[in-house]
Order: sequence, then C-alpha cells, then structure tokens
Amino acid sequence: MANSSIEFKCTSFSLSVLHLKTSVLADVRAILTKKIAQAPDLFNLVPVVVNIEEIAGEVDYLAIKELIQALNFTFVGFTGAIEKEQKLLIRKLGFSFVNSAKKSSTSTGNSEVSKAQSAVKVFPEKTALYSDKVHRGQIRSGQQVYAQGQNLVVIGSVSAGAEVIADGNIHVYGALRGRAIAGAKGHQQAQIYCQNLEAELVSINGNYWLSESMEQHWASPVYIHLNDNELTSSKLI
Amino acid sequence: MARIIVVTSGKGGVGKTTSSAAIGIGLALKGHKVVLIDFDIGLRNLDLIMGCERRVVYDFVNVIKGEATLNQALIKDKRVSTLSILPASQTRDKDALDKESVGKVLTELGETYDYIICDSPAGIEAGAMMALYYADEAIVTTNPEVSSVRDSDRILGMLASRSRRAELNLEPIKEHLLLTRYSPKRVTEGEMLSVEDVEDILSIPLLGVIPESQAVLKASNAGEPVILDKESDAGQAYQDVVNRLLGDSVDFRFLVAEKKGIFSRMFGG
Ligand SMILES: Nc1ncnc2c1ncn2[C@@H]1O[C@H](COP(=O)(O)OP(=O)(O)O)[C@@H](O)[C@H]1O
Ligand SMILES: [Mg+2]
Repeated sequence: MANSSIEFKCTSFSLSVLHLKTSVLADVRAILTKKIAQAPDLFNLVPVVVNIEEIAGEVDYLAIKELIQALNFTFVGFTGAIEKEQKLLIRKLGFSFVNSAKKSSTSTGNSEVSKAQSAVKVFPEKTALYSDKVHRGQIRSGQQVYAQGQNLVVIGSVSAGAEVIADGNIHVYGALRGRAIAGAKGHQQAQIYCQNLEAELVSINGNYWLSESMEQHWASPVYIHLNDNELTSSKLI
Repeated sequence: MARIIVVTSGKGGVGKTTSSAAIGIGLALKGHKVVLIDFDIGLRNLDLIMGCERRVVYDFVNVIKGEATLNQALIKDKRVSTLSILPASQTRDKDALDKESVGKVLTELGETYDYIICDSPAGIEAGAMMALYYADEAIVTTNPEVSSVRDSDRILGMLASRSRRAELNLEPIKEHLLLTRYSPKRVTEGEMLSVEDVEDILSIPLLGVIPESQAVLKASNAGEPVILDKESDAGQAYQDVVNRLLGDSVDFRFLVAEKKGIFSRMFGG
C-alpha cells in the first residue's frame, strides 16, 4: 500500500497554560468562573494545558480535568517540572503529559489575569516555542535578516529599504522604518514590537499594512498583532 | 600605520571629490604625509579639482597593470610638499582594478604615507566596493535629502558587510557622517532634512557640516581646493572637519540661517 495516505510531521502550537497553585478545586472553580464571566468569548473551548508544578501535596488529576471541561475549556493535558513517578501516574491515568520547549516565564502574557489571582494564573504562552535570534546594530537599506524558526530581536533601528523577517515575533529596539514580516510561515499569534513605527510595510501571518494604514500610531512605540484576523496596533507605553 | 580613509556616498554628485580634495590638502597642511587616490576610473575628476590635470602622465591603472611604477604615477602637489595624487585613468573602464593589485598598491603607499584618502566613484558596484574594501575609516558624504540619505544608509550596510574588515572579522570600519551642501534656510523652509533628521536616520557620528556655498564652484574652476579659501564658509567648515579628524573637538558652525542685515531687510534681499 502506498504510504502517502498518512504523514507524520512536527508542528509547533501555541497553547494556553493554566498554572494551578492550590489543590482546593472549589477555589479554582470560583476564580475561573469569575474570569470567564468577564470575557466569555475569550475562553470558550480554548485548549488548555494545566501546569501542576506549584501544587503542594496530592493532586486529583481526574477532578482537575473534569473541572476544566465543565468550564468549557478543551482539556489537552498536564505540564510542569514534576517528578518522574508523577508523570508516569499521569500517563497511567490516560492523560497526556506535555513537555514545553522552554521553561515558561511568568512575566509574559496576560498580566491582568495573573495579577488578580495568586492561586490561578492563565496566560497564553505565545512565544514559548520560539527561541530568539538577536541582531545587534542597525539593519541598513538593502539588507535582509531572517530569523528562521525563531523570534527576531533587533538592538538598533531597521532602515527604510531594509527587511526583517521572522517565523515568530519581531522586536525592534529602535525605529522600524523598513519592512517587517512576522509569523512568516503562518503564525496567528505573531507580534511586531518597535520603539518607533515608521515602517514601509508590516505583515503578520500574511496580513499586511502599508505606511498609510499606520497613521494612528505613526512615530510612536507600538506593538502590532492580529485581532480576529485583522491587524491592530496598540501603544506600548 | 597609515590610516586608509574612503570618501564614499552611494549617490553621485554629493561632494565626494570636493571633500577628498579639501580634506587631503588640509591634512597635508598640518604636516602629515597624504596621498589622494582617484578610484573613479573613467571619469578623472580629482586631478581637475586639485589643479594638476596637466601633469598626469601615468595613472592608477598603469600602476595596477605594471606599466608604470608608483613613483612615476604619483603627482606631487605644488602647494604642499607632503601631498601626492594618484590620478584615475580616463581611458580604461571601471573593471580595470582588482582587489589583490589594489591591496599591493595600498600596502606600498602605506610605507610612506600617514593618510591614504580614497575618492570613491558613485554607485554600489565594483568600483565603489573596491574603493571601500581596504578602508579603516569611511567619510560617508551625504546631502540633506531623502535619496542621498538612503544611498548612504546602503553604503553603510556595505561597509559593515563587504569590506576587508568585515570579511576578516576585524574591528569594524570607523564611520563618519559628512553632511554637505547644507542650506539652513532650506531646512527651515522644510525643503531639506535637518542635521538632526539625518543623524537620527543614519545614527553614526557627525564629522562635519559643509554649507552650500558659491565658493566651492569657484574653487573647483580654479583647481584650488576650497579649504585654501580661508575666508569662505565652506573652507572654514572643511578646516573644522580636518581638525576633528585629528582628534580636536570643534563646535559645529553654519547650522543656522544667517540673519539678514538691516540693508537687505530694508531693500528686500
Ligand atoms: N558645499 C557645496 N556647495 C556648493 N556646491 C557644491 C558643494 N559641494 C559640492 N558641490 C558641487 O556639487 C557638484 C558635485 O561635487 P563632487 O565633489 O564632484 O561630487 P561627487 O564626487 O560626489 O560626485 C560639483 O559641481 C560641486 O562643485
Ligand atoms: Mg567624484
């Protein structure tokens, strides 16, 4: 039989991770219910991985899974830096244990949510699967820098006539006057950050803006992201 | 060790040759041994500005091809004994220079001279690449307008990626910004970029600002580099540039429009 009917490929996904710090699930339910009430659309059926490394003592995996599903999330599995025995137990119970590519950092993501609660934290681990390519110095007209499979960090400006491309996010610690293409291979969550937006073109996951669409935040520090497949710019400070 | 300085720009007609001549003779007048090399093969401009066009017998290409020795081709300046000029050929094409031979000539010159000033042709092709390849420092000559700034930016990219220093991973070429044909009046009227605008876009240290000046054309026609015209604004501005290259810190002049005198105001100047 021809083996073209299936194919195994590695693809990186962005998933939301719920960090639990207590095993008192009634508390977790109360906090999450309140959270969801604030933005029901944001959380509905969102795939969630539960990080349990900060729970002291016994963990009731089945109860956690049921709670997550009852709140209308899509339960994916567990994650965290935990003992080997614990991982084996998780697998024995029929759940998947998900290894993240990088140790998550609590400083990123939805700070508003994490600030409010100390027992539960939800934030999208947008960049967790990409490492950074760092370029020091200005990128000049006619030059192109591509961070393949990475985020691109430019410590300096990107001149008019220069082009920066990343499969992940693009950060420019300087003025962005050239072209910036983030999420080049298709990455909905990719973002572009710069200290001064004067770009010729910005593009995320194939959606692009020319200079004339950047009027609102022209010459100011901004980040650009996709919101419902529409490019959106927000002030950084 | 000789300092090899390329005067470059990308865009043509911005004042590279004018600047090479002024800075070259200015350094020589300070007692340094200086050689000016015209890399603009096919055009031959530097010898005119230096006023030695009638004394050209052999040129740079003859030396490269082994048809003449350096001593035969070098022209000693009549005004300053420590200055020589290596003229370009008018009859050969731009591809007459090759890296290896140019390197040999520069090494030989380096044994005698303190400063080797390379007047680059315009563009970003082989000729301009050759002029910048061996440079230790670059004077990026720029006019205060968008297309010139863009071309300078492009050349800065080349300096950082295509030079010998870049290829060998040595300390990068020292970059200087020389803003020429600056007209404060036109800046105020919004027709030209300001010094700050250009500095902001290129972000390299400012070496000098040369005002747009009638004195430059006069000097070119006379074959007397404008720095010798000590009364002129452009001459003084080039003198400041030379002093800065030698390590002095000199305030920038000619950055604001001259106030009109009472007479011109009364009679509408
Ligand atoms: N500061 C200046 N003021 C007025 N004219 C200038 C000035 N600098 C250069 N020029 C004029 O600009 C033209 C081009 O100058 P040149 O030095 O030959 O440029 P390049 O070598 O870059 O082609 C010449 O006609 C020159 O007289
Ligand atoms: Mg010239």
